Amino acid sequence: MSTLHILTHSPFADSRLASCLRLLSADDGLLLCGDAVYALQNGTRTCEALELMPSSIGLYALQEDVQARALQVPERVQCIDYPQFVALTLQHAKVNSWL
Amino acid sequence: MKFAIALHAPAHSPAARRALRFAEAALAGGHEIMRLFFYQDGVHSASSTVVSPQDELDTARQWREFVAQHQLDAVVCIAAALRRGELNTEEAQRYQRSAASIDAPWALSGLGQLHEAIQQCDRLICFGGH
Repeated sequence: MSTLHILTHSPFADSRLASCLRLLSADDGLLLCGDAVYALQNGTRTCEALELMPSSIGLYALQEDVQARALQVPERVQCIDYPQFVALTLQHAKVNSWL
Repeated sequence: MKFAIALHAPAHSPAARRALRFAEAALAGGHEIMRLFFYQDGVHSASSTVVSPQDELDTARQWREFVAQHQLDAVVCIAAALRRGELNTEEAQRYQRSAASIDAPWALSGLGQLHEAIQQCDRLICFGGH
């Protein structure tokens, strides 16, 4: 049973992302939205950590939040819009928001 | 598929807007939203007394129009609302307060409504944070 994890907090403000990465199982997905997309900032340890995640784990970022912050997204991460966001929640058995 | 959507953030938070865009996309995709549950600071997203600056999105109004247009089951947690001063007319009279800010299409009710929604939906999606 795979889980989609949704993060909205900046990884530079708290430890949610670090905790989440430790918990991810093989087929889980991780969606970054809001300030959590700052994890994709080039050259940061968080970005490196994401790029090192096993390929079976889906990594996604909400397109509008990436655009609003003018970030370059690594190839490993797929940018999605809202219809794709809805579809992603249905591709996983559970959805866990890190509130 | 049946969605339940819980919002934990006030109308001025990006999370309130994100939840609304998700809800719109879910309905546009042919899915059902069986219940909205506004909890914790999310009760402010249902307030009818929110006044947004003219150059900003009025997310509370957009939520209100969305709920009314699609006749959604939209619940505001009563315990969270009362402690934050968001009352409907009945509660304002009960506690002798001068103003009510929760009205149709929103209903004040308890956590049992969230529990029931979780049992009946295919996915619960929670929105909060930034």
